[in-house]
Amino acid sequence: MKKRLMFVLFVSLTFLLSFTPGLFAEEGVTDTEIHIGSYGPQTGPAAAWGAVPRGTSGYFKWINDNGGIHGRKLVYHMFDDGYNPAKTKAGVKELQEGTGIFAWAGGVGTSPGLAIKGYLAKKNVPWVGPATGSREFVNPPQKNLFAVYPLYEGEAKVLVNYAIETMGKKRVAIAYLNDGYGKNGLRGALTSLKSHGMESVAQVPFEAKDSDLKPHIMKLRQAKPDMVLLWITPGQAAKVVGISKAMKFDTQFMSVSTCSDFIFMNAITKGAWEGVITGTFGEVPDSKLPLMAKYKKEIFDKYAAKEERWGIFYYAGILFVEPMIEGLKAAGRDLTREKFITAMENIKGFKGVGPEVNFTPYKKGDIYSRQGTSQTFLVQCLKNGKSKRLTGLIDTK
Amino acid sequence: MIDFIQMIVSGVATGSTYALMGLAMVIIYKTSEVPNFAQGEMALITSYFAMMLLTTMNISVYLAFFISFAFAAILGAFLEFVILRRAKEPNVLGMIVITIGIEMVLLGFVSWKFGAEEKTMPFPIGPYDGFIVGGIYISKLDVLTLISALFFMIVLYLFFKFSKLGLAMKATQQNSVAAQIVGIKTNRIMMMTWGISSLVGATAGLLISPTVMQPFMMWDPMLKGFAAAVMGGMTSLPGAVIAAYMLGIIENLFGGYISIEFKTVVAFAIIVLVLCVKPSGLFARHYVKKV
Repeated sequence: MKKRLMFVLFVSLTFLLSFTPGLFAEEGVTDTEIHIGSYGPQTGPAAAWGAVPRGTSGYFKWINDNGGIHGRKLVYHMFDDGYNPAKTKAGVKELQEGTGIFAWAGGVGTSPGLAIKGYLAKKNVPWVGPATGSREFVNPPQKNLFAVYPLYEGEAKVLVNYAIETMGKKRVAIAYLNDGYGKNGLRGALTSLKSHGMESVAQVPFEAKDSDLKPHIMKLRQAKPDMVLLWITPGQAAKVVGISKAMKFDTQFMSVSTCSDFIFMNAITKGAWEGVITGTFGEVPDSKLPLMAKYKKEIFDKYAAKEERWGIFYYAGILFVEPMIEGLKAAGRDLTREKFITAMENIKGFKGVGPEVNFTPYKKGDIYSRQGTSQTFLVQCLKNGKSKRLTGLIDTK
Repeated sequence: MIDFIQMIVSGVATGSTYALMGLAMVIIYKTSEVPNFAQGEMALITSYFAMMLLTTMNISVYLAFFISFAFAAILGAFLEFVILRRAKEPNVLGMIVITIGIEMVLLGFVSWKFGAEEKTMPFPIGPYDGFIVGGIYISKLDVLTLISALFFMIVLYLFFKFSKLGLAMKATQQNSVAAQIVGIKTNRIMMMTWGISSLVGATAGLLISPTVMQPFMMWDPMLKGFAAAVMGGMTSLPGAVIAAYMLGIIENLFGGYISIEFKTVVAFAIIVLVLCVKPSGLFARHYVKKV
């Protein structure tokens, strides 16, 4: 009788434990797989940035086809959140609590990211390379979150510094998107102006869905600026520059790295983008860097859909998660979240197609323990969308 | 002073796009009393269709536009015939929901088929081609949009006022059963109405496309066109056009002199105001059904 009872108990326990793999293994990790989550708008007003998670997808396929990581394949779970923070939160929770995700990679946008930042922190799920340069992701730093995108604030500072110190500009106007993305740029620009004892001559807010931009351009023109910093969407920036040039509003336009895909910007402005200066978080699309050529040939040419374009958003999807692969490799076969976080903290001087990446052990109040990059360089658009590098890497701190 | 005149000119230019969308919405409303929220996306899909013709078939812009106008008219008629006519026991609310459904399906289709990245459509007039008169910038594309809006307004006004078909359309709206009794094929009238409306809306889409094309490009013009149609009284074609120009100019002046941040919402504040003061709209004379 006792033996029989023991047998029943053993079978029951085995059965129950088969449903709770997480009891012994790390969540999202099996013998053969590592489950990684991501999100990005494939539909909606920000869908042009949807190429970021698709770039990540191509990169992970390439990693898998080259043997995976310590014998495990990356299983990539990406969903379309339409740039809607409510959808982001619902989708992330569903995947995290339903499928079980080991870590999150990328994820487009400030507002969607802020909607899940607290949730992932509470669960201590690692998150590498959110596709946004907003300060809110690292200030205050949180143990699980490793930012790769250089801070917008720093980039704006570098641009305005360059305008004032190198180009001798004296009247700076700022056009910014009225959200976290735009306001981070605005803050950086104002900091730089203040450090030079100057003030902006105009600050013009844009809404994401504004399509008639002539009133905004009029506002900018009225201020008679000799430099206009554009921290708006690529489509809006294209319209502002195009219409301004047609209006003979002669000023130097400078813009954020999201508008640094010159081939694309030149095409949609019919050449009006020529002369615009932007910051950039990584190599330009026509870069001669061997690693860029390799990625284009082995990832983009092989895995990208026919309609996809080798643009900055696509390879940003690679750039943002390159350090994650380094961390996974360094964490070893016996993969746990703690080991992965420690491995990420030990990344020093890593160079992929973006700026150099450095993390340090978590330190409360030190944003650079989790902000891995702090460099940018400036490029100017030439004829036919070609680019001219204006500076070397500049520290954005 | 130059800035003030520039704002008026810009307002008229913007208003022309709103006017085309407003006209398109009024045409359908005049025959069915249904505001068509798929109007913007019907124009969107036609614009992408034209883009596809131009980039993959390498035909001339004029031929591509001609085929696209035919496509727009067929699309409108098709949607009415295949979807709206199938609605069981239709009421206005149900029909509105159906148009919202169509809007979502078309938007999703365009995003899926053509991608979300911004594009520009090849067109003989460049997006930034224009001339400067006394310091005032006038875009050639805006002039063309203005001419198109006024052309459609006059043609449609005359069509509804003097043609038999226009009269039949009016009759269908005022009393569909009575119209049927006197021999009007109301189903056919509805189908034609949708076709004409789609063509007018598509003109707005095609004239926006040389500047920037992306799946959400018709959202703002559709909403503002609807706002203009409501302001104008929903059944008045000249009313919708005049209201559209008023809206464009007010938006520009409000953005220029009062607050750029609230420029977008001023259109809707005006609607609320108009509906409070004159619920039938500024220019409509409503037909009252007698029992």
